Amino acid sequence: MTRSISQDNAVSSSRMTRALIYAVLLVFVFYYLLPLYVMVANSFKPLDEIRGGDLMALPKVWTLAPWASAWSSAQIGVEPTGLKPYFINSILIVVPAVFLSTVFGALNGYVLTKWRFKGDGIVFGMMLLSCFIPFQIVLIPAAKVLGFLGLAGTLKGLILIHFSAGIGFSTLFFRNYYAAFPTELIKAAQIDGASFFQIFRRILLPSSAPIIVVTVIWQFTNQWNDFLFGASFSGFGTTPMTVALNNLVNSSTGVKEYNVHFAGAILAALPTLLVYIVAGKYFVRGLMAGAVKG
Amino acid sequence: MASLKIKNLHKSYSSVEVLKGIDLEIEDGGFLVLVGPSGCGKSTLLNTIAGLEEITSGEIQIGGKSVEGLHPSKRDIAMVFQSYALYPNMTVAQNISFGMDIRGIDKAEQKKAIDNVSSILQIGELLDRKPSQLSGGQRQRVAMGRALVRDPQVFLFDEPLSNLDAKLRVDMRTEIKRLHARMGTTIVYVTHDQIEALTLATKIAVLKDGYLQQFGTPDEVYNDPKNVFVATFMGSPSMNLIEAVVAKKGENLVIQIASNDNNRFELPIKNIAALEDYVGKSVLFGIRPEALTDREGADRTSDQIAHQDCMIEVVEPAGSDTFAVINLGGKEAIARLRADAKITAGEQASLAFNMSKAVFFDPASTLRIR
Repeated sequence: MTRSISQDNAVSSSRMTRALIYAVLLVFVFYYLLPLYVMVANSFKPLDEIRGGDLMALPKVWTLAPWASAWSSAQIGVEPTGLKPYFINSILIVVPAVFLSTVFGALNGYVLTKWRFKGDGIVFGMMLLSCFIPFQIVLIPAAKVLGFLGLAGTLKGLILIHFSAGIGFSTLFFRNYYAAFPTELIKAAQIDGASFFQIFRRILLPSSAPIIVVTVIWQFTNQWNDFLFGASFSGFGTTPMTVALNNLVNSSTGVKEYNVHFAGAILAALPTLLVYIVAGKYFVRGLMAGAVKG
Repeated sequence: MASLKIKNLHKSYSSVEVLKGIDLEIEDGGFLVLVGPSGCGKSTLLNTIAGLEEITSGEIQIGGKSVEGLHPSKRDIAMVFQSYALYPNMTVAQNISFGMDIRGIDKAEQKKAIDNVSSILQIGELLDRKPSQLSGGQRQRVAMGRALVRDPQVFLFDEPLSNLDAKLRVDMRTEIKRLHARMGTTIVYVTHDQIEALTLATKIAVLKDGYLQQFGTPDEVYNDPKNVFVATFMGSPSMNLIEAVVAKKGENLVIQIASNDNNRFELPIKNIAALEDYVGKSVLFGIRPEALTDREGADRTSDQIAHQDCMIEVVEPAGSDTFAVINLGGKEAIARLRADAKITAGEQASLAFNMSKAVFFDPASTLRIR
C-alpha cells in the first residue's frame, strides 16, 4: 500500500538534478543553522575569548559558567537572580493559558459546527477578527479590564490575556477540523443518548489528536515568545522570560556579558524547541490532515 | 414494536418549507419506505421522526403516543445512517455497546447483548476491530448491530445501502428483509432507489418537493399510480407515456395514437367511466414496458390484449429480456420482449398491448383519470 503510494508520488529525476537539489538544500540548512551555531558556540566561551574577536570560532576553553550565570545569578534589571524565576513565571502563565485556550477553542469549534445556532457565523467572524487584529490596539482596553477585575500585574491577569488572545486561532483551528467531522456521528451519539459533553469527550476529542497538537504548538510558541503583553501587563514578581531576557541583555551597568546573553537566549528558546521536537511530526501531520482523502 | 403515525407534518427552514403537510401511518411491524428524488424531503422526514430535527407543526406518534419534545434517545428508536456513522475511535464492540454504556447498563449485560447481536449478524470475529479496518459491507452490518442492540420500537434506515457496490447492495437488501421478517419490528426506510422501495416495503410513500405524492402498498404504487410523477418514478425502465386522443367507436371508447408513418392506429380501452368526458380530447396514455411485448410474451391471464404492428427502431438485448424502442405518438416508447423474440431493427413487428394494465392521465393536471 505505502509502496504503491510512494511510487505514484515519485518524480523520476536524473542524478544531476538530484545532486543540485541536495546542494541547494544543504546551503539552506547551513544558512538556517548558522545563527544557532554562533549562539551555541559563544555561550560556551569565556568573555575575553569573545572580545578577542572571532564569533565564528569554536571555544578554545569550554566553560559552563555563562549558562550557570544566565540561569541563576545574572543581573536582571536590578536583581541578580538569573533567568530562573522568570522561566518559572513563564511556565506558570503559558501552561494554563495554552490549556484553557485549547479546551475552549475545541468547545467553540464543536458548538460552531455541530450545534449551529442563529448568528453563529457572526460569532465566528468576530472570533476570526481577533486573529488578525494587531494586539497593540487592545492594550489600553485590556489594561482597563485587568484593572477592573483586580488582576493587573498578576499571573492570573496574564493567563487571562493570553487565553483571550489565543482563543481566536484555536477556535479557527478546531472549527475547520470539526467542520470535516461527520455530523452523522453526532446524530448517532444523540440517539445513543449521549449528552452534549459526553459527545464532546467520548466521540469528538478522541479523534482530535492532530488538531490538538497543532493548537498546542501554535499557542505555546506564541504565548511563550510573547513580549508585548509581558512587557505591558506583568508586575515585579510576574515578569515572563522574554521580558527578563530583554532586561538581561539591556542591563546598562557593567560590561556586556555576551556569552551570558547567548546562553540566556538559548534558555529562552529551549521550551519551544522542545515542543517542536516532541510533537513536530504530529504538527505536520495535523496540518496535512484532511488534505489527503483516505 | 409500535405503530407510527404522522399527522399533517410541516417543516420549514426559516423561509423554505421542505415538508408541506405529510400524513402517513404504518402499522405495528410494517415496513414503510420513503422514496423520492433527492431534495424531496425524505431524509428530513426521517430526521424529524428520530427527533434530530424539530418540526414546525403537526404531530408524530410512536406507539400511539406523541413524541413531541422528546429527545432522540427517549423515542425508543434506532437509526442506521447512510455513512454508517460508526465511532472511529471505538472498536466494533464499543460501538455497539456505547448506548448501553451511556445508560449505565452493567458490563455483563452489555456483553450478553453484544454476543446476541453479533451472532444474529455474524460479526463475532470483528468485535475487536476498529471501523477503519472493516470493509463497506462489514461496516453496514456493525451499523445495523448498533441499531439492533437497542431493541427499539421503530428502526429508521437512512439510505443504508447507497454506499455499497451493486452486488453487495442486493445481498444486504435481502438480509434486511430477512431481518425484518425475523424481528418483526416496525421499520421506516429512506431510499431514492425505487427497486429497493418495491422489494422491501409493505407500504411506500412517494415524496416530491415536500408533498406526499402517493401512499400505498408496493402493488398500488406500481400498478395504480395516482399521477404522472409516481408512474414514471416507480419502475425501470419507466412507464411509457404517450399522447393519445380518446374517441368513441360505437358503444366503446378507443384511443387513437399517431404512429411513425403519419397514420393513426386505435387501441380499445377497458371501461373507465371518467374517460367519457375526454372524448375528442387528448390524454396521456401510460403503459409499462412489460405490458407492451411480443405476441407470444403477452400475459395470457389478461382479458384485454390488443395487437398492433409497430416499426422497431432499436433493439437492445439485455440477456433475460430484449428491449425494443418504438415510436408511439411521436415519442420513444420501450417495449419489453422475451429474450428470444424474433425482431429486427428497422422492420415492422406485431406487438401486444396489455390494455388491462394501461393507465390514463390528464395532460394538464397530470392526475390519473379513473
